[in-house]
Amino acid sequence: MINKSSYLEKIAVWDLDAARHVLSRTLYGYSKADLDFALSKSLDDFVDNYLLKDLPQPATPTYNSQEWVTLANNSTNNTGSNYTNWRYSLTWWWLNLMLTQGYSFREKMVWFWSNLFVTEFNTVQVPQFYYLSNSLFRQFAFGNIIDLTKKVTIDPAMLIYLNGNTSTGSSPNENYGRELMELFTLGIGNYTEDDIKNAARALTGWTVDNNNLKGIFTTSRWDANTKTIFGKTGKWNQDDVVNLIFSDKSVPASEYLCRKLYKEFAYYHPNEDYVKQLAEVMRANNFVMKPVLSVMLKSQYFHSVDIRGAKIKSPVEFLISLIRFFNMTYDNDLLNTIRSKSRDLEQEVFNPPDVRGWEGQRKWINTNYFPSRNNWSDLVITGMKINSKTFKVDSLAYARTYSSSENAVQFIDDVTKVLIQFPLSQIRKDELLAALLDGTVVQNWSTYSSGASTRLDKFFKALMRLPEFQLS
Amino acid sequence: MKRRDFLKNVGMLTGAGTISLALNGMPIKAFAKSFLNITSANGKILVLIQLKGGNDGINTVIPYDQYSLYSSYRPNIKVAESNLIKLTTNTALHPSLKSFETLFTEGKVALIQNAGYASPNRSHFRATDIWLSASDSNQILYDGWASRYLLKAFPAFPAVPPVHPMAIQLSSVPSGLFDSNVGGVAVGFGDPNSFYQLVSGMKADTDPPPATLAGDELKFLKEVAALSIQYATVIKEKADKGITRQTYPTSNLGTLGTQLKIVANLILGGLETPVYLTMLDGFDTHSGQVTKHEGLLKLLADSVFAFQREIEAAGLADKVVIMTFSEFGRRVKENASSGTDHGSAAPMFVIGSNVNGSIIGNNANLSKLDSNGDIIFENDFRRVYAAILRDHFGLNTAGVKEVLLKDFDPLQLIKYPTDLENEFLLPAKYELAQNYPNPFNPVTKISYSLPQDSFVRLIIYNETGQEVQTLISKNISAGKHEIIWDASKYSSGVYFYALQANEFYQTKKMLLIK
Repeated sequence: MINKSSYLEKIAVWDLDAARHVLSRTLYGYSKADLDFALSKSLDDFVDNYLLKDLPQPATPTYNSQEWVTLANNSTNNTGSNYTNWRYSLTWWWLNLMLTQGYSFREKMVWFWSNLFVTEFNTVQVPQFYYLSNSLFRQFAFGNIIDLTKKVTIDPAMLIYLNGNTSTGSSPNENYGRELMELFTLGIGNYTEDDIKNAARALTGWTVDNNNLKGIFTTSRWDANTKTIFGKTGKWNQDDVVNLIFSDKSVPASEYLCRKLYKEFAYYHPNEDYVKQLAEVMRANNFVMKPVLSVMLKSQYFHSVDIRGAKIKSPVEFLISLIRFFNMTYDNDLLNTIRSKSRDLEQEVFNPPDVRGWEGQRKWINTNYFPSRNNWSDLVITGMKINSKTFKVDSLAYARTYSSSENAVQFIDDVTKVLIQFPLSQIRKDELLAALLDGTVVQNWSTYSSGASTRLDKFFKALMRLPEFQLS
Repeated sequence: MKRRDFLKNVGMLTGAGTISLALNGMPIKAFAKSFLNITSANGKILVLIQLKGGNDGINTVIPYDQYSLYSSYRPNIKVAESNLIKLTTNTALHPSLKSFETLFTEGKVALIQNAGYASPNRSHFRATDIWLSASDSNQILYDGWASRYLLKAFPAFPAVPPVHPMAIQLSSVPSGLFDSNVGGVAVGFGDPNSFYQLVSGMKADTDPPPATLAGDELKFLKEVAALSIQYATVIKEKADKGITRQTYPTSNLGTLGTQLKIVANLILGGLETPVYLTMLDGFDTHSGQVTKHEGLLKLLADSVFAFQREIEAAGLADKVVIMTFSEFGRRVKENASSGTDHGSAAPMFVIGSNVNGSIIGNNANLSKLDSNGDIIFENDFRRVYAAILRDHFGLNTAGVKEVLLKDFDPLQLIKYPTDLENEFLLPAKYELAQNYPNPFNPVTKISYSLPQDSFVRLIIYNETGQEVQTLISKNISAGKHEIIWDASKYSSGVYFYALQANEFYQTKKMLLIK
């Protein structure tokens, strides 16, 4: 048991178990070499100089070499199929980034922000705007939450989704004002209905410029009268609302956001003591995310046996991480298959179920989705044909990345320690050994024996069918 | 914004529930089998057909008594007078519903006119949620009416799941109909064989997970894995055993024929699942309605007809009731695209050998529409649900209210209601009553009825499904009996008591509060 006062203290041992936990919670898959790399650095060095390093913005997505992200949102461009194709190419682009950002925590933070500041593609329907908000989340991945909230407030996708673009001084719409406080920053109980009404008035004036793809302010649409928010009166505008939230309600805001962080990266039922301590760090750093993440990733409680292996992989994470685990070759065709498969597993990228975002964890698993996941992991081992190309894990090559590949018992020990968070029972390991040997005896095992790759295929299928494999 | 939408992404056994299957090394099948509790639904089966998109009620059941007014509203899409199937001098069916006419003549169709609710919602999503959750127009419920019934019938779920699924939907995306506060209660699949393929190679295991938060999640995953195997296996077994002989229609408009064939296969094979949900999509006919609607209605009627004949031939027809529903009807006045826009009330069909063949209610009144130009509802749709719950499944009035959350006067849909409370000298059937008092501390009384001399086992289980005490294990004579359980040495919490008498099994829940 870890004493509450030690929750945020740095872990003493940076070993395989610790590194595997950190990598599985911050990346979309990792290889054995990635684990070795992390362990070749110190904890501080790896977390602060690799995972949390600021990276340049990636090149923009294209569809069939066509640049579309800056094209106006108008009827010429919106041919229906255009927007569908652009949206798909945006999804492939993001999935590809999840796999190609080295040791950066950034893409999982982009996901975190997009599941906090939620919009739905089915409502907004403009891929250009999704590129913009996705890029905004990337730019602020480890950045200042107050600044990000201000940008989101006038972000085109959000203006459309929560009706900011139709909200005027003479007829304010409360939708964004309410969700800003209830779901994005504070949580119920930390504001009044009058705060929302006044904030809604302060937030007026903004519409979407479909030619230049940005939010624009029109003074005549803005309510210029005084508003009272959290008991403070002034001629507040949208930035003032955000400032008031983070100054007058800094404790609930920091706790709300740390609770969200905890639910996303630690465990879905928040430990309130941990959340409160982390929130103090957030306030001490004026709502800049990077130092908060640094403390979290190194902290004792984050590394406790309760938390390690306690997160059920989301559909996108489950599907995409197999590529990096096994160093699979892939292209947009495979990414497109993953896109539609993740939708079948109830996580369509850019299309969360409602403004609360995906709840995750046990919602991801039922009597259909669990076997469907097994089916998919079988498929990447057997190989799947898409547009006459075969995408398949090279089990043999993967096995030989382990120095123990010729020693069946040791090999199973080593592989499961890389790919699975839980220490497996002897019964489980024996089952896996039986799958690998497939009738032969330990002494005869070699990756150079005939039929070795077939046996390895069986073994990896069995390994990924374990319920333990669904946990991160 | 749809921020308070009904939860959509919930499937079987997601969420808060925990299931204890392979406890203490007991194999899952043996363990679950002893809890089969299907008699809670009195062996009755409900097959729901969801007509997705909003079925045009006015062209399904035509108010023949107002034919000229009807024609003036619908110059392009009206059903020609000469083609109408006249059920009575006032009411006619669309010609595609020829098979329904046959069943109607045989007295097996209850046609409920103008089913709906006050202040109708015209959003597909919201209106669907209202029908699935049985809520009022402005009331948000997060569970489906079918799950509320099923959790009453199977109170031990999810701690002790029944050996057959409580509900099946013939598609994999979970329906809100089966959502509940302990997770989804239905198994979804498109085809028994591919569902079985999905679990082939999966293994249930009995390794105890570590006692950590992470261990709790592993336990959850193992339980879902075990149930997937259990249900996919039993479904495949029953589907293989049930041999259907009717020809079910196939159509590029939908797979309803195939879905009902699978349901028939399962029922004939002996699966005791009480609720099935099938679906026919495509009713959102904003343009070019005539041909599409003709095809959909024909597919509906012919699929139902094949299914009905199938279960009649198998001698099971008295057990099964079919009910159609749709999120709304359509606007009376056609639109400019030879289609119709979203409307309100519409007819429902309840079909079965034990159904009271009749037309319930009046024709839609085309001279008295609401401010949108829509039909004003006449029969609250929940009066249909109430009839099915009380007279088909055999709930008492209080039970129906628990499911529908309000009192609704059940319509007279069922010919011979399933009766629950028989007060004869010798009980007519096996029954396990709710313990009294409940909650209790520390003593409670458990009553049960035996129609014949039986070997009786009455066992108490704790919340995790572990046996805590065997109260009875011996031959007992026919009649009403009761036994006292003294729980003074047990701690507070939920307990289950399970009665096994010959082929009868039933489990109920009780709460000990110290």
